[in-house]
Amino acid sequence: MAHTTTTSPDPHTRTLPWGASQPSENFAEAIKALDTYKQRDPSKVIVRFKAVGNAPIMKQNFYKITSSNRFQAVIQFLRKELGWQAGEPLFTYVNLAFSPAPDDTVSNLFKSFATDGHLIVNYSTTAAWG
Amino acid sequence: MSSYGTTRHAPSPAGAASNKERVTDYHTTLFRRLTWEGTVPLEIRVDPKELPANSDRGLECYYIQAPRVSYLPLLMPEIRRFLMDVVFDDAAAKVLKEDDWWFESAEGTLLKWHWPIGLIYDNHTISTSVRPSSSQLQTTPSPMRLILHLASPPTEKLLQSPSAEACKLSFMGQLKEADFLRWGSTKRMTALRQADQDGLWEGIRDHNFDHYWRVASKVTPTAGAARPQSPVPSATASLHTRPPSADPAGQPERDGAYNVRSVPVRIYLPDGPVLQDLVPPLLEDGSPNTLAHFLTTHIPLLFPPQPHPPNSTHRHPNNSASHGSELAYALIQGVRSPPEAEMAWLGACMAGADGWLNVCIGICS
Repeated sequence: MAHTTTTSPDPHTRTLPWGASQPSENFAEAIKALDTYKQRDPSKVIVRFKAVGNAPIMKQNFYKITSSNRFQAVIQFLRKELGWQAGEPLFTYVNLAFSPAPDDTVSNLFKSFATDGHLIVNYSTTAAWG
Repeated sequence: MSSYGTTRHAPSPAGAASNKERVTDYHTTLFRRLTWEGTVPLEIRVDPKELPANSDRGLECYYIQAPRVSYLPLLMPEIRRFLMDVVFDDAAAKVLKEDDWWFESAEGTLLKWHWPIGLIYDNHTISTSVRPSSSQLQTTPSPMRLILHLASPPTEKLLQSPSAEACKLSFMGQLKEADFLRWGSTKRMTALRQADQDGLWEGIRDHNFDHYWRVASKVTPTAGAARPQSPVPSATASLHTRPPSADPAGQPERDGAYNVRSVPVRIYLPDGPVLQDLVPPLLEDGSPNTLAHFLTTHIPLLFPPQPHPPNSTHRHPNNSASHGSELAYALIQGVRSPPEAEMAWLGACMAGADGWLNVCIGICS
């Protein structure tokens, strides 16, 4: 019957005799801190696109992109600007050196790799530094 | 003798670096070996709603002790063989396409193909640490429960295809990014012959430590040798952390961990986000950047500044910041890491096979 569930206290607030599951003040403070770090950074950074090899050149090279975006969003943006169809190969690199993980954020990449205040993203139709 | 030191104490008072050149010292190899041999228990269960007709129910669960440095796509052949041999019948085996398979944690978190398995596991551990009702009373390590789905992969969220080839490309990208952070270019990586580059990945695939490190030692900094040239200003603090006898007198090694521009580090917070920034191995005063200093710099709300130098091993009796009042802890390769550990050393000895030091932050209950 349902009597066990109605009389049993909520597991989150249940206090054991030895006080083990009591969320402490510290725990609450830590959760609050995590919420602060989860807030998305609304600031924008300048991304500079540079074509490599025979990749088409863009009309505009500098774009302000929200820094909390993932690199995947930058790739999608670039594909759209170039009018690239799904399945058409496009390889992207930072500083002519490496392909970032698609789930890394623009903010993280900018902090680590910005040159003269820009994050330089190279794009190519063939694998260049992969 | 030093105890099980996590800082870069040389094993002998004379200092191992002065006469051994590029021979990797004992402690470095030991910790690299421990990192490499680390495994995590996984329970892989096919989503019961997706089990094909005539499957042998009751056997749809597979247990594996997976290397931390490996990747989910590399486990697939073994899992597939088990499922095809034991669970699915021939008709189902013909229809199922492995390209459509994907993993979730039991809690519903999508598991990415391109994350090292150790990182997936530690990330799961810290996510659990923020849910007070669950598992805090667990005393023995239990397997992480994975759900294997057989259809409709959420491709746009997985970001990468499940193929081992895509995983290898992503792995090489991470190695190059780490190389660029350390030295300001990827010269070391691009100087490797193709066979050597492939050898790194084969070392992971075959879980062969020697095979991997034969190549990796050409791009990874050495841990034991370098020493800041300027003396550490705080005499009392330095007496505690570095016996003078442990410091080799010579020039810092060019490839030394303390000479890199930045240590490749990422901080993982429970349920996100991931933080990355430049992490110099030495502070402006020439003293080594420690884990405590690093965490206080980047996530001060979880690691508030301490009233006295964090790398001091001596605790003042009146100091209220005792172990019990800590808000959070740092998990590196599944190990709660001491605050006085030096970032350069961690980067050289405790990084994953992709060159990255992953610092997962758990919340103290």
